[in-house]
Amino acid sequence: MNERAAVDVESKGLSAGQLGLLASVVLGISTIAPAYALTASLGPTVTEVGVHLPAIFIVGFIPMLLVALGYRELNAAEPDSGTSFTWASKAFGPYVGWMGGWGLIAATIIVLSNLAGVAVDFFYLFLAQVTGNDSLADLTADKPLNIVTCLVFMALSAWLCYRGMQETKRVQYTMLTFQLLVMAWFIVAAFVKVGAGEGAEGISFSLDWFDPFGIPTFSAFTAGLSLSIFMYWGWDVCLTVNEETAGSAKIPGRAALVTVFCIIVLYLLTAVATLLFAGTGDTGNGLQNPDTTDNVFAALAGPVMGPFAILLSLAVLSSSASSLQATFISPARTLLAMGHYQALPTRFASITPRFSTPGFATLVAGGSSAAFYAVMRVVSDNVLTDTIAALGLMICFYYGITAFACVWYFREDLFTSTRNFFFKFLAPLLGGVGMAVVFIQTSIDAWDPEFGSGSSLFGIGMVFLIGVGIIALGLVIMLVVALRKPEFFKGDILRRDTPPLIVED
Amino acid sequence: MRLIVGYQATPSGADGIALGATLARSLQASLDICLVLPRERPVPSKAPVEAGYDDILVDQATDWLTEALTLVPEDVEARTHLLFDESFARGLLDCAEHCDAYMIVVGAAGDGLLGRHSIGTVTSDLLHVAHVPVALAPRGYRHSPPQRIRELTCAIGSRPGAAELVEAATDLSTSAELPLRLLSLVSAEAESIQAPGSNGLAKAEDVLRTVKAELPAGSDVQLQVAEGSGIEKAASSLDWHSGDVLMVGSSRLAQPHRLFLGSVAAKMLRVVPVPMIVVPREAGK
Repeated sequence: MNERAAVDVESKGLSAGQLGLLASVVLGISTIAPAYALTASLGPTVTEVGVHLPAIFIVGFIPMLLVALGYRELNAAEPDSGTSFTWASKAFGPYVGWMGGWGLIAATIIVLSNLAGVAVDFFYLFLAQVTGNDSLADLTADKPLNIVTCLVFMALSAWLCYRGMQETKRVQYTMLTFQLLVMAWFIVAAFVKVGAGEGAEGISFSLDWFDPFGIPTFSAFTAGLSLSIFMYWGWDVCLTVNEETAGSAKIPGRAALVTVFCIIVLYLLTAVATLLFAGTGDTGNGLQNPDTTDNVFAALAGPVMGPFAILLSLAVLSSSASSLQATFISPARTLLAMGHYQALPTRFASITPRFSTPGFATLVAGGSSAAFYAVMRVVSDNVLTDTIAALGLMICFYYGITAFACVWYFREDLFTSTRNFFFKFLAPLLGGVGMAVVFIQTSIDAWDPEFGSGSSLFGIGMVFLIGVGIIALGLVIMLVVALRKPEFFKGDILRRDTPPLIVED
Repeated sequence: MRLIVGYQATPSGADGIALGATLARSLQASLDICLVLPRERPVPSKAPVEAGYDDILVDQATDWLTEALTLVPEDVEARTHLLFDESFARGLLDCAEHCDAYMIVVGAAGDGLLGRHSIGTVTSDLLHVAHVPVALAPRGYRHSPPQRIRELTCAIGSRPGAAELVEAATDLSTSAELPLRLLSLVSAEAESIQAPGSNGLAKAEDVLRTVKAELPAGSDVQLQVAEGSGIEKAASSLDWHSGDVLMVGSSRLAQPHRLFLGSVAAKMLRVVPVPMIVVPREAGK
C-alpha cells in the first residue's frame, strides 16, 4: 500500500475575491437593482399610500436596517453558515429553521418570476422601439406568448446558473453605470417637463409627501411598508460580505452607508419626479392606472424621454435580466444546504461534477419559478402587482424569523455590553416585531378580494392566497418530509455547535 | 517525475486517471490528481446567498478526490490537490508549474449529453494554453487500461515544427525505455488536389529518413508511412495495440510554448483508439 496523504486543499479558498469600497457599493446597488425595483413597485405603492410615496420610502428603510444589523451579528458569529435556514435552525431548532428556509426560497421563487415578467414586458417594448412598430409592445399582453417568452428567459438564466456562469465584473460595472445614468436622465427629463407645464394636473409639490403620519390608514401604511421593504431588499448583502471585503473592518459599514444613501436619493428623486409628472390618477399616465401600475417605467418612458425612451427600456431590461440570472443562485444554494443537512431529500444536495454547481436544486428552482409564473399569469388579472405584494409578505416572513433568531441565538449575552444590547437585542427585536406586524396586518388586509390588483379566487384575495398559501404549503411539505426523513427534525444534525465542515488549512 | 491529472468526477475523469496510472508506471512517475473549483465572486442576487455552500462544495470536492484515489492502482503513488481558480485549465497549469510537472493528463471526451464524441471544454481550454505536454485519454480508456506503455508512435508532419516533437518523443522513449515508431500520414486526397502525380509516399519516406538520421545512432526506431483517402482514413488504417501511445505536435498557429491542437491532430483524435500526447511548440527551450 503506498502512502496516501489527505487531500491537499489550496489555502486561498473559494472566496478570495477581495472587495474594496467601490466594489462593495457597486455590488450593493447592483443587488438592489433600483431600475427594476422602482418600475415594479412604484405603482402598487402609490396605490396604497398615494402622494406619501417619499415618506414610505424613508420609513421603509428602518425595519430593513434593524434586521440587517441582526444579520451582521449572526454573520460575524457564524461566518460559515449564513441564511435564514441555517441561522434559524441553529437558534430555534429544525422546524422553525425549515420554515425560515422555505420562506426565503418562496420569496426567491416569487421574485424570479416577477423579474422575468418585467423583463418580458421590456423585451417587447424594446423590440417595438427598435423597429418603430408599436404593435410589438402589445405582444406582452398575449398570455400564451407572454408565458412562453418568460419561460425561455427563465430557462436561459437557470442554464447559465447550472453552468456556473456569472457576469464579469466589467459587465456588472458597465450595466450599473448605464442604469444609473439613464435613471438620472429620466428624473431630469421629468422635472424639465413638469417645469414646462407638461406635468400632471392638480398636483403640486408639498412637504407633506414626506410625512409618514399623513398616510390615512394603518393598513395602507403597512402595505406600503411591505412594498418598500422589497425596494431595499438585497441591501443587507453590503453588511454580510465582510468576509470578502479587503482592508479595514470599516469598509462593509461604509459601503452599506454609501449604498443606502445613493439608493434613498435615487428613490426620493424618482418618487417626486414621477408624482409631479404623472400624478396619482387612475387614467392615462396616472400612477394608479390599473393598466400600467405594475410596470410604471414601461408606461412613462415614452411620455418623459420621447425618442430616448429606448434607453430606459434597455436599462430596466438589463437590470432585471442580470438580477434574474444572479438571483437563481440563491434558491439553488439554499435548497442544496437543506438537502445537505437532510432537511430535504438527498438529491437536492447533489453537485454537478462538471460545473461544481447545485445541479438538481437549480433545476427545481427554475421549474418552480416557471410553474409559478405560468399559473399566476393565468389566474391573476395583474400578475406583477400581485406577485410584488406577495413577495413583500414573504420577505417580512423570513426576515422576521431571522431577526428573532438573532435575539434568541445570542440570548445569553444580550445584556453583557451596551453594544450587544443595541445590536443583538434591541435592533433585531424591533426589526422582527416590525416585520411581524407588517406581515400580519397585510395578510389580514389581503384576505379582501379588492387588495392588490383586485384578483381573487373563491372570494379570497389573490395576495393572501399566494402569501399565506405558500406558507401553509410549506408546513404541509415540511410535515411530509419530517415523516419520511426524520433525521434532520430530531434536531441533531444542525445545532448551534455544528462545526464548520471546512478542512482547516 | 510528476504527472498532473486533471480530474472531474465524471467518466472521462476516470479515463484520465487510468491513463495517468499507465504512464506513471512506464515513467516511474507519481500522480498529482487535481480538482479545480471555480473561485467565488459575490453576485448581485436579490435574495441572500447561503454562505455555508462553500463548505459543502469543498466537502463534496474532497469526497470526489478521495474517490479518485480509489481509482489509482495500489502500485502507483498519488497525491490529491483541491485547487481554486477562475478556470480549470488555468488551475492545472499553475499546479503543473508549481510541481514542475512533466505532463498533464486528462480524459479527452466531453461529458455532456452532446459532447461525448468531441473534445471536452476543459481539454480544449487546456490545449490552447498549456506549456507542457498534454496527454489525452480516449473515451472509455478506464475500462481496460494497459499495465504499461508498449510503444510510442510519433506522427511527423511534412512541415517545420517537427524538431521539438521528435526531441520530446525520443526523450520520452529513452526515459521509459520504449520503442519508437515514426509515422507519416499521407492523404491521397490532398495529394491529388495539390500536386497531381507527385509521389507523396516517397516524399513522406524521405522526411522520415531525414528525421531518423538526426537521431543518436543505435536508437530503436521504426519508420512507417500510412496512406488513405483522408487523414482520418490514413490514421485508422494503422494497427493499434493496447499500450500504444500517439504523440503529435501542436498546431503551427499556436504561440511558442503554448499548445493548440492542429486540424490534423484533432482529426486523428477522433479515429485513433489510443491515448494521444500533444507536445507544445518549442517545448524544452
